[in-house]
Amino acid sequence: MCGSIRPLEIKYIRMKNRYLVEGPITPLLISELMTLGNSDSSAGAVSIFIGRVRDDEVNGRRVSAIEYSAYDDMAGKEAEEIVKTVQAAFSDVRMVVIVHSTGVVRAGEASLFIMVTSGHRDHSTRACRHTLEMVKERLPIWKKELF
Amino acid sequence: MSARVRVLYFGAAQEIAGKADEELTAADTASLRRVILDRYPAMRNISFRMALNRTLLKDESDLNDNDLIAILPPFQGG
Repeated sequence: MCGSIRPLEIKYIRMKNRYLVEGPITPLLISELMTLGNSDSSAGAVSIFIGRVRDDEVNGRRVSAIEYSAYDDMAGKEAEEIVKTVQAAFSDVRMVVIVHSTGVVRAGEASLFIMVTSGHRDHSTRACRHTLEMVKERLPIWKKELF
Repeated sequence: MSARVRVLYFGAAQEIAGKADEELTAADTASLRRVILDRYPAMRNISFRMALNRTLLKDESDLNDNDLIAILPPFQGG
């Protein structure tokens, strides 16, 4: 259950749980997330992926926003598993942060934030990409295009 | 033995069912799948997997009263 998942230590944004936030991932949230792990001064590499909503054309209509829905409990459980898997696969990784939006996110706004810190660049960059692929494959999240 | 389970619908499955959840009766996940396809024939047009008590099912499983089943169309996060 999500209740057992430890929340992220951030002050200014209220999240649904450690991994989900209602609405877009704002610049304020991104800047707060980027401070996580700052106390670990042996982590010299930080890799970040930010996914944004594209204004794709679908059947002649331009997407103005995407409404995301999630199976919150299972998403929290799966995200915990992804973090454990990545940490086991990349020994130099210190921290893995995954945040996904639910609800309405407008075109141009961010809906996914992944940050991986490690001692050196090789593991942070590879682990960040690996985390992204697992998020797309395993998180129970759905989208509905709004026009 | 049939079990009374709670079924959660997500994504396109929720739009087809017209509801987020309901209680259904079935002995196992294979028969529950048939019950759902009979109730909502349009579900045949989408693919979906099932989760049992928040864990993705890899094989069919027997059901117990109060089990939580989720109907999961292909994930679209990211």
